[in-house]
Amino acid sequence: MSTTKRVFFPGCSLPSYNPMAVQKTLVHLQNHLPGTGAILKCCGKPTKALGQIDQFKKRYAGVQSEIDRLDAEEVIVACQSCFLTLSEYSPKQKVRSLWTILPEIGLPEEVRGIGKDSDITFAIHDSCSTRYRPDIHEGIRWIMDELGYKYEEPAHTKMTTLCCGFGGMVLPANPDLAQRIMKNRTSEVQSDYMVTYCAACRMSMMMGGKQSLHILDLVFGGPWTSKTPFPGAGSTVESWKNRRKAKKSIEKVLA
Amino acid sequence: MKADTVREMLPVIEDCMGDAPPYCHTACPMHTDVKGYVNLIAEGKYKEAIQTIRQKLFLPKSLGRVCAHPCEEHCKRNEVGNAMSIASLKRFAADNYDDEFDWDVTREPDRPEKIAVIGSGPAGAQAALDLRRQGYSVTVYEKHPVVGGMLYVGIPSYRLPREIINAEYSLLHRMGIKIKLATEVGKDIPFQEIVDTYDGVVIAIGAHKGFKLPVNGKDLPGAIQAVDFLREVSLTGTYKGFGKRITVIGGGNVALDSARTAVRLGAEKVHLVCLEKDIKEMFAHDWEVREALEEGVILHNSWGTEAIKGDDKVEQIILKKCIQVFDPKGRFNPAYDEGCQEIVETDMVIFAIGQGVDSDFATSVEVGRGGRFVVDEKTLQTNIRKVFACGDGTGISLMAVEAMAEGRIAAESLHRYLNLKDMRIQRDHERGYRTNLETSIPADDTNPERVNTRKLDIATRMRSFTEVDLGFSEEQAVEEASRCLQCECRLCVKECLMLQEFSPDCPKKYFKDALIAGEVDPVVPYSCNMCGTCTLVCPKDFKLQDAFMNMRKEMVMNNGGKSPMKGHKVIDMHQLLSFSRLFNTSRPARNGTNQPTAPTGGGK
Repeated sequence: MSTTKRVFFPGCSLPSYNPMAVQKTLVHLQNHLPGTGAILKCCGKPTKALGQIDQFKKRYAGVQSEIDRLDAEEVIVACQSCFLTLSEYSPKQKVRSLWTILPEIGLPEEVRGIGKDSDITFAIHDSCSTRYRPDIHEGIRWIMDELGYKYEEPAHTKMTTLCCGFGGMVLPANPDLAQRIMKNRTSEVQSDYMVTYCAACRMSMMMGGKQSLHILDLVFGGPWTSKTPFPGAGSTVESWKNRRKAKKSIEKVLA
Repeated sequence: MKADTVREMLPVIEDCMGDAPPYCHTACPMHTDVKGYVNLIAEGKYKEAIQTIRQKLFLPKSLGRVCAHPCEEHCKRNEVGNAMSIASLKRFAADNYDDEFDWDVTREPDRPEKIAVIGSGPAGAQAALDLRRQGYSVTVYEKHPVVGGMLYVGIPSYRLPREIINAEYSLLHRMGIKIKLATEVGKDIPFQEIVDTYDGVVIAIGAHKGFKLPVNGKDLPGAIQAVDFLREVSLTGTYKGFGKRITVIGGGNVALDSARTAVRLGAEKVHLVCLEKDIKEMFAHDWEVREALEEGVILHNSWGTEAIKGDDKVEQIILKKCIQVFDPKGRFNPAYDEGCQEIVETDMVIFAIGQGVDSDFATSVEVGRGGRFVVDEKTLQTNIRKVFACGDGTGISLMAVEAMAEGRIAAESLHRYLNLKDMRIQRDHERGYRTNLETSIPADDTNPERVNTRKLDIATRMRSFTEVDLGFSEEQAVEEASRCLQCECRLCVKECLMLQEFSPDCPKKYFKDALIAGEVDPVVPYSCNMCGTCTLVCPKDFKLQDAFMNMRKEMVMNNGGKSPMKGHKVIDMHQLLSFSRLFNTSRPARNGTNQPTAPTGGGK
């Protein structure tokens, strides 16, 4: 009988950005939800977004076979594109967002209230792909409240959130337009600081001129203040190195 | 284009409201670009505003005063009781910025066919103008010594000064339309001669025949019809044998015009008697009744006429209490409490209970109830193929602007008839119609109050036929025009930078053009963020991203499985690596107790 009830599926953008957060999340999940395995793989959304539907189906079959091999009933995703893709293409699995799991199992005790003395107000940028998932929006606010950071709701927020500019693989296709969309998003935000829960969104907010973090930066790092150096763009090489690190640490945690 | 792609585009092409005209525009029988000119006024571009109006209306000053403005009834702001004051804005632009040297007097080259138009009211004049613009030789026969029909001999001059009608009608002369005044067809020239002489005829004689109630005393001297009264006052400035105490019977606008005219002729007491129980139920405009009350008219609601008494002239009118105007089935079927009567001392009784059509002259043309000409509703053709009829002479009583639209339809039909073209195809929306636009008043709208025009003081207006409504000042006009909601959909375009760049009008237009062209520039579908904001704001919930996604799929299929965008080579490489074992792993859960794990390789 399989001991793997569920798998953590961090996606690609988060491991490329912050492998340590992947590792710590996995450990945290494991501590509270015994029977958690992990799959580090792309869900294939970029392939699908380009319109390469046959290629996508082939690639997704690989994702499904890994899930099936581990016999996981539940997949916990950290990426909103993964959330949509897996929800659609893995109908037998229960697909859940990390942002609704954390309110259930709680944050690591030591990080509660970590941001209460911070001088930063983070404007929350919701991912447009899960605009119709209020449970995810509420989970993110819950995390911010637990951490104690102050936050701002932009004019367009939750269901009405605006695209970060990265969606639909527009950045490589029409960089000028993507840049304007990023700027359009950040221009309606008062604060100089933003928090996202998608690494691609984080990058876009940064390109839109804001100091930006992924919410797991807040959970597994900090306290963040205006004195803290903020992460930058990171090179392509660096992101693949991070991806390797994420792979290694998953293998180590689940050795 | 593949069927899958087209299937996603078609609903948008069919039902996107991005090009749907605003409510005011389609409510106007002449389809005046109301939103256009109102906003030009708001921007201070008055000259452009009057030019916009003149594209559709040849008598903007007149309509700015007397139009019953269906546009205002359908104005979005009317839903909260504050319709835009559109007619008065038109008047502002026309009164102050219309210049006869800017009028469009162009026309097609002359044609040999000759057209007769009978009647020079709004319907006849519009038909004459449209036909003249097509190059026909047009002659208008007018039985009155003045042009304008009911505008001149029906509507009192305190609402529409006569010099305005004459000035606006001068366009007909400048266009080369011959107008024979004081020439009554059937009397001064036989109708048959007109039919025989001309290649086409438009009958637009209006409804100038009054009715009287079938009550005792209706034929006593002093019991008259409103149309005759108003006509005589319009043409002579007075009414022969006018009395001191006047009773008007009727609750419509003609009754109000009669009562207020009586006030101005110096009557000491003017009574208005009608069946309807209050101002709301009366057919007349609320404001018209209010202004009459201000001028001292005594209103008798819920009264019917029992009899008119007098020895050799009208001395009294006996009224009976009206307890029902319409029966439960909604038919006009007044009922009275015969036991409840009232006597009003009066020198004159003016019947304003509706008009009929004096169609006896046209013996060969089929007529129906009330002498109204029987026409094909779509083409306005009569039983005589080259004779068309329009305006009040054909149907229920029309607003001036409706009559103009009917005149335009008759002219179009006659033009088609003479050119052996199909009379019936492509004739949608020739009158007022309902737009397919659906919008809401924005949540943050403050519902600003309608700006009212200035009015002549009551004492002055009771003594003379000076115009009552003084119109807007410039400041008022700009304030009022600025209230316009500029109704349109285009919610998606306003939210989406990509649509603003590639589909600035609306998705409907973009998809339609693309379908007709049979191809799209790849940069367009590949610039959609697939973020769903368009769907979120779209009243029809169109998923534009699905349409763009299908375009992408088709492009990939036609491009050997690759995106046609150069920039996407990066994504190909990214995806290749993302699925390589180098960066993939999958691990089952660990058995046994959980142990804290030392961080590995962390840090950024």
